[in-house]
Amino acid sequence: MSASTPLPEDLRTRLAEVGEVDVVVGIPSFNNASTIGHVVRAVQAGFAKYFPAQRTLLVNSDGGSSDGTPEVVQTASVADLATVLVAEPQKVVHRIVTPYHGLPGKGSALRTVFAAAREVNARACAVVDADLRSITPEWIDLLVSPVLRLGYDFVAPLYSRHKYDGTITNGIVYPLTRALYGLRVRQPIGGEFGLSTALLAHLLDQPVWETEVASFGIDIWMTTTAITDGFRICQSFLGAKIHDAKDPGVDLAVMLTQVVGTVFLLMESHVNAWRNATGSAPVRELGFEYAVGLEPVRVNVERMLGIFGTAARELVPVWERVLEPGTLASVRSLAEAPQSAFRFPAELWVKAVYEFALAHHRKAITRDHLLRSLTPLYLGRTASFVLETSDAGAGEVEAVVEGLCKEYERLKPYLIERWEV
Amino acid sequence: MGATFSERLLGALDVFFEGVMRFLPGLLAGLLIITVGVLAGWVVKAVARRALVVARFDRFCESAGLTTILSRADVRATPSALVASLLFWLILASSLMAGASALRVDVINRLIAESFLYLPRVLSALGILLVGFLLANFLSRAALLSAVNAHVPSPRIIGLVVKFLIAVLAFAMALEQLEIAKSIVLAAFIIAFGAVMLGLAIAFGFGGRDVARRVLERQFGDRGGEDDDDTFRHV
Repeated sequence: MSASTPLPEDLRTRLAEVGEVDVVVGIPSFNNASTIGHVVRAVQAGFAKYFPAQRTLLVNSDGGSSDGTPEVVQTASVADLATVLVAEPQKVVHRIVTPYHGLPGKGSALRTVFAAAREVNARACAVVDADLRSITPEWIDLLVSPVLRLGYDFVAPLYSRHKYDGTITNGIVYPLTRALYGLRVRQPIGGEFGLSTALLAHLLDQPVWETEVASFGIDIWMTTTAITDGFRICQSFLGAKIHDAKDPGVDLAVMLTQVVGTVFLLMESHVNAWRNATGSAPVRELGFEYAVGLEPVRVNVERMLGIFGTAARELVPVWERVLEPGTLASVRSLAEAPQSAFRFPAELWVKAVYEFALAHHRKAITRDHLLRSLTPLYLGRTASFVLETSDAGAGEVEAVVEGLCKEYERLKPYLIERWEV
Repeated sequence: MGATFSERLLGALDVFFEGVMRFLPGLLAGLLIITVGVLAGWVVKAVARRALVVARFDRFCESAGLTTILSRADVRATPSALVASLLFWLILASSLMAGASALRVDVINRLIAESFLYLPRVLSALGILLVGFLLANFLSRAALLSAVNAHVPSPRIIGLVVKFLIAVLAFAMALEQLEIAKSIVLAAFIIAFGAVMLGLAIAFGFGGRDVARRVLERQFGDRGGEDDDDTFRHV
């Protein structure tokens, strides 16, 4: 155990009682009592069905829930494993519920999970979100087996999602990460991952756990680290991803600031990795892909365009310090179009994102203000995407995302030329 | 009589030359101090400017919004040049005062002592104004961004109100620091602040009843049946 990843004494004692295990599944949580029971049962069934011969451990790393989440984790259980076709249930299903320490956020929760996995010498570790409604026992197999049986270090998820779900992923994080580092990891901030012992130890030894990255940007940091530090990566198709209804208290601007801010920070520390990468290579996909029926979603395009239009009038003094004059003029001219004809061209969007990354690099304005001023632009682009794909099927939408990725790759020299060393 | 005249004349000249001889070293010392001060000021100015450029001080000021404030105040010099000039003038003013005090003239010494006693207050007031204007710009921009992202109507007004209130507060604090009409400044500030708030409340209540209703409904209303919000996930 590294001195940099201390475990509370009581947790260490409980882990010692469990002894060595082969597979650890971690569930970071905070007030997820309504959904975590289903997740725990899926993990339990997954252990029994796919890893009956292995010693397994479920670790719930909780952020101080007040709704009884830890109690649900302790008591949730599949009443009769035979109903999920488990012939020989495991003798013991170990589970540990522990509060995490350190900065509030998913990163600190995962640090506790990883440290626990290292403490029990786990051969593979998987992480699943606590608010999943669509997780099945197969997810555990799909996240763990590529590590245990095929020797991969990092298993990223692949999902069937509603065409409008994951717009930050589709519009910024996936295409930008792909263009920067040259690997097509489709869900770099998916929330579910599988990790090998080697990657887990490598991540634990990185000096980021007391930083902002560990608080909220942990998913993209893990993906980027796995790519840039040369670990073997694959993707597993998990099926539909359905979360609990979103927390209305989660502010889009805050979310965008955290995710995109982390991507920009990682660009600073991995500049040598992305400057030399050209094009992009596919990443091996595992699992049986199938189409799923997804719940309809509601999109308020008018509100998005309202915010974009207001910003185009009011945020010019801020955007002037971020965007090139030509880009700013083009963005402002978009706001004059009627809703039906509104389109935010991919090229303009990519240039704007790159110019925001450059402004972040040269510290053009306060970081928080810079990232918050990206929100209206993102909403404008998202509204355009919704209008553009209103009648499109999943395949056509994926083609649009692919086109955007190509645009990011094509314009990458634009970023490199302006990036000051 | 003649002896008395020559004695008096010589005596007067003695006194004059004695005074001159007593004053001259002080004058020479004062001139020397000022000359050294000017030279030191030039050297410090040149070194400081170079060091600030190397330390990317101008870029820091640009990111902190200070450059914009200066340009709005029609100050064309770069922040590093400005700081270097400030150091030069501080050294020059100090050497002028030190040089003047070398003359050992009571009136000048008293004035210098009094100005030294008041100097900390002037510097504090300038500091308060500088911090106040920086804070006003920073928080005004933060308020503007939050208002735009929250789809609040007329976000610019919110930003301007924040900037105005902080600027007024900083100005009142600076005057209070200078001990200029303390009670009047305090009373004026309370009245101005109260008037702004009351004006905003009345304007919001009467002028923007519909807007107020929409904002309040959005913040506190029953969201159950509302179809205003998106239900898709951004990540």
